[in-house]
Amino acid sequence: MKLIRYQTSPLFTPGASYPTLRDEMDRLFDVAFPTLSSLQRGGLFGDLEGEFPVDLYQDKDAFTVRAELPGFRKEDISVEMADGILTVTAHQKTDTKPDKKNKETATTIQERRVSRAIALPENLVLDKIQATYENGVLTVTLPKREEVKPKQIAVEVK
Amino acid sequence: MNLLAKKDPRVSTQNGPRRTIVPRYTVDETADSFVITAFVPGVDRSALETLVEGDTLTIFAHRTWTPPADWTAVYRETPAADYRLVLELDHRVNRDAVRAELNQGVLTLTLPKAEAIKPRRIEIKG
Repeated sequence: MKLIRYQTSPLFTPGASYPTLRDEMDRLFDVAFPTLSSLQRGGLFGDLEGEFPVDLYQDKDAFTVRAELPGFRKEDISVEMADGILTVTAHQKTDTKPDKKNKETATTIQERRVSRAIALPENLVLDKIQATYENGVLTVTLPKREEVKPKQIAVEVK
Repeated sequence: MNLLAKKDPRVSTQNGPRRTIVPRYTVDETADSFVITAFVPGVDRSALETLVEGDTLTIFAHRTWTPPADWTAVYRETPAADYRLVLELDHRVNRDAVRAELNQGVLTLTLPKAEAIKPRRIEIKG
């Protein structure tokens, strides 16, 4: 089963340039305490511009992706599923309210474009994927295919 | 901070002492007001409280959504914490006219400048 790949192997990757001890420690901490690291990553306007925090849940019927994307409009967000990869892109053009009185108004949201790709298992019903956007959170529900649901078989004991 | 937390019953009673984080925010200045923009994704209008008390502005935003019991988190990046932002106001803010607006997880607070600091022309008499 494929999961979200947001960094390469948590341990040493041969071939890559030699990471410093500090980098190694940071990565180990990221793996051990994902919540801490996500706080540091800080979401939309954090150090990693263009990324946003994503959660992935599953229950017996479906996978659910929740992405924190505050301040977009529904039509700014696109969700695509291709090749087992769910891509969420939000693109907002500069939203400047024409204000003749305050020319130096600094309160406009600049054009921003954020995107995230999430690898998902292949056993999904692709035409039943649904997405909603509420309170700045995008929720994508991806139902599992029938055969991968755990089946209960009653065995008669004689 | 501790004193404020004691005064705020929601922090200590509801759902036990829940962790809070400071939301990302910006403060901008226009000709006649200050504008605070805070990012509080996952917060419903009913779960948001903005309090002006003396010189302190407190924003408390409770995350309304919790995963159903039979869901397992495969991967989590968002912190399961409420938002809390405490800012000091100075004499330039008109406390009686603070406006708040919540739109898709973005809280915009408009704090008009106090009349006293706006430039005024003084007529010379006589």
